[in-house]
Amino acid sequence: MKFLTIAKKELTDITRDRRTIIMMIVLPFVLIPGLFGVVYTIQSQQAEKATEQQMKVSFFGQEYAPELYQAFADLDKVIILDQIPADSVDSYIQNEYLDAAIYVNREYQESIDQNKQAPIIIKFKGTDSFGITRDRIKSLLTAQENQIITKRMNQLNLKPDIVKAYQIEYKDVASTQEKLGKFAGGFLPYFFIIFGFMGAMYPALDLGAGEKERGTLETILSSPATRLDVVLGKFLVVMLAAITTAFIALGGMYFGIQTFPDIEPWVLEVVNVILSTKTVILMMSLIIPISAFFSALLLGLSIYAKSFKEAQSIVGPLNIAIIFPALIGTLPGIELNAVTSLIPILNVSLASKDIIAGTINPWYMVEVYLSLIVLAGLAIVWCVNWFNRESTIFRN
Amino acid sequence: MIKVENITKEFPLSRKQRKELGDEFKNVKLICAVDNISFKCEPGRIFGLLGPNGAGKTTTLRMIATMLKPSSGSISVSGYDSVDEGQKVREQIGFMTGQTALYDRLTPTEMVKYIADLYGMNKEDFNKRKDYLFDALDMQSFADRRISRLSTGMKQKTSIARTMIHDPSVMVFDEPTSGLDVMTSRAIMDLIRDCREEGKTVIFSSHRMGEVNQLCDDISIIYKGKLFFNDTLDKFKSEMTKSTFEEEFIYRVGE
Repeated sequence: MKFLTIAKKELTDITRDRRTIIMMIVLPFVLIPGLFGVVYTIQSQQAEKATEQQMKVSFFGQEYAPELYQAFADLDKVIILDQIPADSVDSYIQNEYLDAAIYVNREYQESIDQNKQAPIIIKFKGTDSFGITRDRIKSLLTAQENQIITKRMNQLNLKPDIVKAYQIEYKDVASTQEKLGKFAGGFLPYFFIIFGFMGAMYPALDLGAGEKERGTLETILSSPATRLDVVLGKFLVVMLAAITTAFIALGGMYFGIQTFPDIEPWVLEVVNVILSTKTVILMMSLIIPISAFFSALLLGLSIYAKSFKEAQSIVGPLNIAIIFPALIGTLPGIELNAVTSLIPILNVSLASKDIIAGTINPWYMVEVYLSLIVLAGLAIVWCVNWFNRESTIFRN
Repeated sequence: MIKVENITKEFPLSRKQRKELGDEFKNVKLICAVDNISFKCEPGRIFGLLGPNGAGKTTTLRMIATMLKPSSGSISVSGYDSVDEGQKVREQIGFMTGQTALYDRLTPTEMVKYIADLYGMNKEDFNKRKDYLFDALDMQSFADRRISRLSTGMKQKTSIARTMIHDPSVMVFDEPTSGLDVMTSRAIMDLIRDCREEGKTVIFSSHRMGEVNQLCDDISIIYKGKLFFNDTLDKFKSEMTKSTFEEEFIYRVGE
């Protein structure tokens, strides 16, 4: 039971380290919800601003289409600028002095009258905020077009139904939870996988390479504790740090969103569905083995390093190796199946998606657990063997 | 009692290390740090392992403390084999190095408690022993202050307390005065003498001839992993052909 003594001491040690506390508690609990809130506020404000902004439009050929011109002129929050030189339209739009230009030629009315298609050209800047200009113009033109079609049908004594062979009604049988799961399930595991890794990283570096660098490793190696005790004691603390950080990241996001003013009701709905007791328990059950894997891997690498600095340079590139499969899990079309449930990190990401959506297949879940437990076990065995090697411990 | 019999320790050389060492080591796969050495440390006596940096002193002491396994030969500490009964060996020894290896974020009390717990000491024995050591070393005033805030001398006292907390019968000192000021070095030397008075087995490594002359009863001279002398200090002195220890050392190792 000496590993418990070691774990107890390591826990006291790391919880007194300011950097560990910042990484483990402050960063996930304060900074991430804070950043999330700031990004959300800015995005909402920009979207609102873009919707409410006056749209500046130039209309060329108003004499050929007076009704269409009037429809634009009557549109709410639209200013028609008549004095724009025709050869400067592109640069005006490019420089955002003008939002769009509408071109109608002399054949417009004739085409309408002869039941033909009337050509209309719209110039706009595709990189404007949220494509709002294009949407607003499209919506007005569709309404105008429908009026013309109705008029033409009436002239031909036809019912409008004749051009609409189907009356389609789409009924989505997916539950709100399912839809939200597919939406939010992608990025949520991405967060806790990254935070689990980050939470394990600093304590692993400190308890492995840091201890070697400080010369305290000899103290512990000359004690009656076995190498297995030392590894297990350290591993438990690193894993606890990883789990705590991942949990705090989830909690921090929940707390941040709940207390954040002006949050959209649908966002709150997403959060409340995601963070139901059952979902949290199932997700935590995934965090534990993946944290065990991260902890053993990081501790092994840290023990191999001669110094804290070397350990940082070894562990740094691993961030990318962790982020990549977590990111793949957020892509649409990638689903949990018999194969993907065996791929570490990706399986956690995909399983979380299905847990949140409430569509998790129990067999795949078992496969995910088995894969993670085997992987974590192998990582621990590797770490213990690594620690038993003289060339690792006394590498310098 | 420590009995070292024909121990050899070889370390594998990596490609990078071979490159760094030059052409001479191009095809060398193993490097011998300790080459077939034998000696005995008796209880109630101070055994000095003397040699320059890189001679193999630390490797030898690490093998005694079971941190390294000998490539060949055997070591027994208080009758326990260092390879087969490593844990028993470690229970007998107190290991101390010159670099005060302490946990900065703990207090001296927590530091010694941690070591005592690893040695399985009960609360009563721990409190008694801790009070004795803290009084003897005048540590009570900073017992609950974080180690990071202590002076070098205070840290060294803490290091002594943690080495002695379980009252080991065998003490291993690896260049214990290295990098320390005169006052702290003297305190360590006194501690080593006290250990002898208490009948403990003491092995002490140093590259300082003066220290060895002041402290040791028996000495071994080690150089490039090989043993050049192994007997009492008195015999070494009586056989000296040169006027100083340093000159005699250089003469003995043939440099």
